[in-house]
Amino acid sequence: MYQVEASKALLKPRLWLRRPEALRVSRNVFMLGLTSMLTDVSSEMVATILPIYLVFSLGASPLALGAIDGTYRGAAAVVQVAAGFVSDRWRRHKQVAETGYGFSALGKVALVAAGNSVGGIGAIVAFDRIGKGIRTAPRDALISLSSTRDNLATSFGVHRALDSVGAFLGPLVAFGILLAAPARFDAVFFVSTLFAFLGLAVLVLTVQGKPWRAPREGTPPSFRRAAGLLRESRFVVLLLAALVLSLTSVSDALIYVGLQRKIDFDPAVFPLLYVVTAVAFMALAIPIGRLADRVGRVPVLLGGFAMLFVDYAALLTNHVSYVGLIVCLVALGAFFACSEGVLTAVAGAALPDDLQASGIGILITVVSIGNLLSSLAFGALWVTIGLQQAVVVFAVGLAVALLIATPLLVRSQRSALNG
Amino acid sequence: MGSRNVKILVALVVLCVVGGGVYVAVAALAPNETSTDANPVAAADADVPVMVRAVDPADTRLNGRVFVVDDGTVTARSGKDLTCERVYYAAGNGLCLGVAASGVEYTATTFDSRLRPLHTFTLTGLPSRARVSSDGRYGAITVFVAGDAYRGSSAAFSTRTYIVDMATAKPIAQLEQFQVLKEGKPFEAVDFNFWGITFDPMDSNRFYATLGTGTHHYLVEGEVSTRELKVLRDGVECPSLSPDGRQIAFKSRIGTTDTWRLKVLDVATLKDHPVAEKRSIDDQVEWLNDDTLVYSNGTNVYTVPADGSGEAKLLIRDASSPVRIESGEKL
Repeated sequence: MYQVEASKALLKPRLWLRRPEALRVSRNVFMLGLTSMLTDVSSEMVATILPIYLVFSLGASPLALGAIDGTYRGAAAVVQVAAGFVSDRWRRHKQVAETGYGFSALGKVALVAAGNSVGGIGAIVAFDRIGKGIRTAPRDALISLSSTRDNLATSFGVHRALDSVGAFLGPLVAFGILLAAPARFDAVFFVSTLFAFLGLAVLVLTVQGKPWRAPREGTPPSFRRAAGLLRESRFVVLLLAALVLSLTSVSDALIYVGLQRKIDFDPAVFPLLYVVTAVAFMALAIPIGRLADRVGRVPVLLGGFAMLFVDYAALLTNHVSYVGLIVCLVALGAFFACSEGVLTAVAGAALPDDLQASGIGILITVVSIGNLLSSLAFGALWVTIGLQQAVVVFAVGLAVALLIATPLLVRSQRSALNG
Repeated sequence: MGSRNVKILVALVVLCVVGGGVYVAVAALAPNETSTDANPVAAADADVPVMVRAVDPADTRLNGRVFVVDDGTVTARSGKDLTCERVYYAAGNGLCLGVAASGVEYTATTFDSRLRPLHTFTLTGLPSRARVSSDGRYGAITVFVAGDAYRGSSAAFSTRTYIVDMATAKPIAQLEQFQVLKEGKPFEAVDFNFWGITFDPMDSNRFYATLGTGTHHYLVEGEVSTRELKVLRDGVECPSLSPDGRQIAFKSRIGTTDTWRLKVLDVATLKDHPVAEKRSIDDQVEWLNDDTLVYSNGTNVYTVPADGSGEAKLLIRDASSPVRIESGEKL
């Protein structure tokens, strides 16, 4: 009975696109996307106005905000792995994810209640970061467990697309409120809280905690078995591939900094850089997910990283025209659409069902360590040998990384099919 | 998912839309005067007119009107169409960095000798510093950019510094795109931030500014025409040239904290000495004359002798962003 209903749900949410077969993802995935979208609207509303609120209403230095944000990123990474394992161990992905989203929602309430001290805001940003650390692995595991091998990448594409729509809408909602009610930051905080609770409500009320692929028999995985993932060759090769690829990809923020020095000067253009990339990502996430399911996730993932060569090439020229700039930004958007979500899908396919959250938690942490090291290395190379030379080093590095990663990724998927 | 849950969710959505809508509507309809009626009060006579922006310490609303204080009284004030976070004025050309009433849009406005706005353009971040060269040709603007921090850097904030053609009110250059030389060799790093331009009073093409990278805050000397900057020394933020061009007042960071002492350096030798102000001041200092600094702690304007003698004295209450008005100016 349950099985029949679940597979019916798998094909249900097609109303929002004209072609009925356009999105073949389960209702669970769509609802998780909706949860992320509403939560992102809430977070981005606050993130947009926080600097001006701190500086002009509280008289703080903008420096305080940077310090507040940087402090808690490390904590989130540690929480990620633990939250992943706990949700596998207790078989309670949904409840752990709820805790994470709940953290963010409670943080917003605290902002309304005690938002007029810099320390209070620091605590709220901490809550938000830790909440994000808790929820990411169990949520991605739920997406994976609510999908089949045939629509795994599409599922992650749909989720990431909805997520980025939220990040895009948040600032617009905040601006709209402040245009209607000038300088009423409390109204922004209040509406942000409502969005956070709606996101949580969608998760609690509509997401199925035990999708039909979820393991429900046998003993729950022990810590030893989870740690054993690090000795399982099909997962280790995947981690290695993810590490070498993230080590050799320059972060988007650094690419923007580099590109800004190559274009004709116009201050009005700078904020548009982020917008073009975000729109490209939003538009491409779903089609690329479907492509990955049809032609293979590994080639699409590798193709995504190859997109970075477009931006590297631009950074090696002396001048970039506006047409060239748009090509670079669309390539960057395509890179995002092909990389993070598809990589998680690749992991989902390689991991045993009862260790999805643990494995995804480990993978995200490895990737973020790779990204951090890559940024530090790129910054150091920029100072010592110059931007062009640093880009050459990273371009050669990425080419080598792709050569190393290709057989590793193919192996992780092939053995998954056999296993 | 049961139909009961769907009903609960729909009810919650309706509740939130209504609740949020009512809250925003009430906030929108509430009387909301964004510019305060604060009036700066002269506490001492400065001998020259001083332009300031009004601050109401009891009310943290967004923006302050522009006032000119002379001989112990207010001699001119702007209307509500000119409210600024930061203001500067020279040779008939005013530059006002403001925040729109909504609080989400930042603007730069040029204004004339009757404190009437002329041209406005949008800024890409929070207003921080403003300057106009003494011939009124160039303006300089520093803004803080949020959400631009990148991973792996200790400097989690970032600034942009623009040079503006005052006649057309158009940005013509950005310091981030200038070539930097240190000990004669090209110098670059990913975390470069520039702030606090001060123009040479004798030659508006020349200027000084701060280059922040890592834990260093270099005094740099630049030219608008060549788009080049030269590193002079470390430990100088928000430089400000004296009217005779021989000294630079600046804020000197205490260790790695966000606290500063005001100091003055000799342009010829680059040697510095502290002034008598003992509080931490985060401001780009102005010179009242060749011997006296004028600056704000955010709520009041003070003076202090540049040679390190004497003590800080209150000049104008409820004001910030002080500007010396030259004797030939008509305001």
